[in-house]
Amino acid sequence: MMTSSHAPVVETPDLILRGYREEDFEAFAGFCTSERARFVGGPQDRWSCWRSFMAGIGHWTLRGYGMWMIEHRDSGAVAGRVGMIFNDGWDEPELGWHIYDGFEGKGFAYQATVAARSYCAQHFGLDAVISYIDPENARSVRLAERLGATYERDGTLLGVACHIYRHPAQGDA
Amino acid sequence: MTQLSLDIPRLETERLILRGPEARDFEPIAAFYADEGRSWGFGGPMKRDDAWRWLATSIGHWALHGYGFFTMELKDSGNACGLTGLWYPEGWPEPELGWILFDGYEGQGLAREGAARARDWAYADLGLTTLTSNIKPGNDRSIALAERMSARYERTYHNVHLGEDLLYRHPGPRGAA
Repeated sequence: MMTSSHAPVVETPDLILRGYREEDFEAFAGFCTSERARFVGGPQDRWSCWRSFMAGIGHWTLRGYGMWMIEHRDSGAVAGRVGMIFNDGWDEPELGWHIYDGFEGKGFAYQATVAARSYCAQHFGLDAVISYIDPENARSVRLAERLGATYERDGTLLGVACHIYRHPAQGDA
Repeated sequence: MTQLSLDIPRLETERLILRGPEARDFEPIAAFYADEGRSWGFGGPMKRDDAWRWLATSIGHWALHGYGFFTMELKDSGNACGLTGLWYPEGWPEPELGWILFDGYEGQGLAREGAARARDWAYADLGLTTLTSNIKPGNDRSIALAERMSARYERTYHNVHLGEDLLYRHPGPRGAA
């Protein structure tokens, strides 16, 4: 069973973006059950986290792209997730990033998101993509702006009001 | 991009092909989950976006466990008529054998035909030595099928997702052969 082959490996100086592995679940659930997940549908109970983890894998099969696990190169620890989300109910594929406890403030989110955005534009034809952001999520708003994304419009995601940011086309970035 | 490789077998019965879940299964699964009368014993009803996530989840289940729900396809028409297979989410007491039929395919013995094939596969190919089916109280059709497959009521337990649930135990590899 080639469980990690559903996502290609993308490398940055500090990080390895790769597919899901069973042993990633505890780090994933740690984030998913915590207040850190409050802007991305959480916190959720462990069962719902399990379902999200499985769905993250199945997303690659159904869409041909998805979110990567972010592995911290030096420690081997899982530092978060980054990549494209296009579940049913989304307006269009969305670039998202989740950074786990202990990995903030090091520029990892920026590094991972730049790499994922560039890869998705080159290999999946997903360019000038959106990010759904809760306007109260100040850290994510700051990162989106640092990434060159700009506020486009108000929107809703699964019935929840949010802001839609648009990333620059990668040829122009 | 990297080839997605999910090692899902293709099984056959007299009338059915059991194959891995695919994107084209979404519409029948969404219709199934939109129908409360049909899906209440299988985690439903669900809105369309939740049904999509359910399908994605079922694919991820295959990737991590090496087993999951097959889509049952009729050999004659190529139409998807239901799901059967093994399911072992976080918090479940043990792996279970499950089955559902889509609208219009009941009363023909298809659930039993598919579920029996999946059970044989679980024992012969995966090497499992026991199997359960978790059935919601009042789901009489499913209970009747479990009993026709010689599964026996064992206990009532609290399912993390579904609440009160009946656990039926299937005969082991020898008894089911």
